[in-house]
Amino acid sequence: MHPATHPENALSARSHRTPGYGRVLRGLAATAVALPLIFGAAACGNDDGGSSDPNAPVELSVFWWGDDSRAETTKKVLAAYHDAHPNVTFVSTFQGNQGYLDKLSTQAAGGNAPDIFQLDDNMLSELAERKVTLDLTPYVEDKSLDLTKFPESLAKYGVVEEKQAGVALAENTPGLIYNKTKLAELGVAEPATGITWEAFIAWAKDVSTKSGGRLPGTMDPSADYKALWVWLRQQGKEFYNGKELGFTAEDLTAWFELWKGARDSGATPTADVIHEGNSSDASKQLVVTGKAATSWVWSNQLSALSKSTKDQLGLMAYPGDPKGQWARASMYWSGSAKTKHPDVVADVINYFVNDAAAAKTLGIERGITPNLDLRKEVEATLTDVNQKTSLTFETEITPKFGAAPTPPPKGHAAVRTLLVTIAETVQYGKATPAQAAQDFITQAKSKLA
Amino acid sequence: MALTTASAQVVPEHPGRRSPAARKRRGSGSGRHREGVAGYVFLSPWLLGLMGITAIPMLLSLYLSFTDYSVFSTWEDVEWIGLENYVTMFTNDPSFVRSVLVTLVYALVMVPLKLAAALAVALLLNRAWRGVGLFRGLFYLPSLLGGSVALALVWSALFAGDGAVNEFLSFFGITGKAWVNDPDYALGTLIILGIWQFGAPMVIFLAGLKQVPVELYEAASVDGASPWRQFWHVTMPMLSPVLFFNLVLETIRGFQSFTSAFVISNGNGGPVDSTLLYTLYLYKRGFTEFDMGYASALAWVFLLAIGILTVVLFSTGRFWVHYADGEDR
Repeated sequence: MHPATHPENALSARSHRTPGYGRVLRGLAATAVALPLIFGAAACGNDDGGSSDPNAPVELSVFWWGDDSRAETTKKVLAAYHDAHPNVTFVSTFQGNQGYLDKLSTQAAGGNAPDIFQLDDNMLSELAERKVTLDLTPYVEDKSLDLTKFPESLAKYGVVEEKQAGVALAENTPGLIYNKTKLAELGVAEPATGITWEAFIAWAKDVSTKSGGRLPGTMDPSADYKALWVWLRQQGKEFYNGKELGFTAEDLTAWFELWKGARDSGATPTADVIHEGNSSDASKQLVVTGKAATSWVWSNQLSALSKSTKDQLGLMAYPGDPKGQWARASMYWSGSAKTKHPDVVADVINYFVNDAAAAKTLGIERGITPNLDLRKEVEATLTDVNQKTSLTFETEITPKFGAAPTPPPKGHAAVRTLLVTIAETVQYGKATPAQAAQDFITQAKSKLA
Repeated sequence: MALTTASAQVVPEHPGRRSPAARKRRGSGSGRHREGVAGYVFLSPWLLGLMGITAIPMLLSLYLSFTDYSVFSTWEDVEWIGLENYVTMFTNDPSFVRSVLVTLVYALVMVPLKLAAALAVALLLNRAWRGVGLFRGLFYLPSLLGGSVALALVWSALFAGDGAVNEFLSFFGITGKAWVNDPDYALGTLIILGIWQFGAPMVIFLAGLKQVPVELYEAASVDGASPWRQFWHVTMPMLSPVLFFNLVLETIRGFQSFTSAFVISNGNGGPVDSTLLYTLYLYKRGFTEFDMGYASALAWVFLLAIGILTVVLFSTGRFWVHYADGEDR
């Protein structure tokens, strides 16, 4: 942009000194030639942040996890960006969730992380604190990466150590998914958002009893960090307080006790079935495999889970006060700190979250559209009834959200798997809630250190 | 090496065997030197591979084991912490202790049973039946699939709470366990999977059995030895070098098992760390918790432990391995 302005300035400066008619004309002509150049460059500048030559070919590598349908929509948006900016081409790679982080970390270790990659809040701090991610703060500040249409807490949920390490690609909230068809058969009323934990467990027990024990009312979420987190927030605690645990062994004991009671009363399946449900795989969720009436998942998963069962599924918030929930990023786009084209990276991310056509292409497969203006437009294009339900749910719960916590700190991945192992010792009856809670606190401290 | 000893006594000395020595006697000093250089040139692809892919990374990992290194660290961030990783491991890491126990149980149960199965099947297949080749192939098949992820997936489906194994058991009125989902049985399921893949040692046993001279059996029968006595007093001593070879190899392999535990427990070593093999724990620390420095320390302790174990096995070999050619080893 700047090189283009120089000839024009030089010429007009000279025309001041020698106000000959011909020179003025020539100056005007130069201005006429230069102006479109300036505007053209400025227009490009909005797009790629004003690199020296806006039309120089740029190749960006993009990496995410997900299934084929996610790959299809993501590639479509990348292709649309390429059509608008023919000099920018993409090399995209995707794979399943398992092994994704291994591959990303190995690439990052070798100093050739992809220019743009997908993360979730389990990994964001892990990479951001180790300076793998590009600091997007300047682009957010000058609005070339515009987050003003985001719910404020959602934008902040990508900030690690005061740097914008990731931009939410979508928003979602923990959601309970229950089997509507089976509940109707058993003649049990559907649960509703706002129910207390005790009432929910009693309801689940009722399902177990009415089904003669064939369909336990709920999966036991005691190994699930997100359920524990919501519960802790409702007790006025947090999962993390900065880089430390935000709760004590007593809190965790109470949580384990709550679910021990539920298991003993028959509200949940037995430990070996719970172990199956502790897998993060969508197709193994107990509500889908018919081994429990309710699973503790995410609000945007209603459509995905519905594909694995003939039964109709319903969605509600986790029990307790919805204030325990917050606008959480289901996934982020992050840039590599070592990318050669940080401006283009920021612009591509901006395109993904703020372009109406892109938002419509992406739909709500990753979660609800983060841009509140576009959310309405996307809503109008949805045809899948389950996706509509997810979106309505998110819209209804949004005004009730509490303040967003900071994303989990480095070490969270280890703490999360530790919780599964420790909670399972209680589920299998190998440890008492108090012992297990103490073990967890001790070991988690060393993982976070 | 045990194999060559076993075969040396049966295969008649090859006439060409003397020639390298002869050539050496003839060769002049400079020619020998040139030959040496040529040798290294021919060796260089392998040598470069050894240095680049094995030796240098290994030494690097030894260095990293004394540091606090995450996968993402740049060289400037690598912090030297001396023996801290090793000290933590032996004083303050319950998962380390757990993984050592799980691995010991796994290897000590699996390896002897696997060798017994391999030997038993090899004895059966050592006879001149029609179609015995087909059976040899069939029994070897699971080993070909051995390291494969697909096999472990099938295994976890077979041994799930509502899997085929329990369905089969229910025909006999037995209520099966949750196998891979039960912390008391999950490791047992892995052990069975390990034993089932006995094809490789079986083939080696078969080769060893073929080398036992028929005259020994003939002499034993003339002396009126029962088949059982023949097995213990002819087959076993003659086969002991092969058995020893298999034992060392399978022990090392057993300790290094990873894939099946990784797949069946979804990479977590669960339920309740019951399938947390040492290698899986190492992987978890390195790749899901990013403690590469600590994982390197784990790897070096592992290397030392396997080395010591192998030395112990070799020192016991003196008492029970019989080398028929009388060579003193």
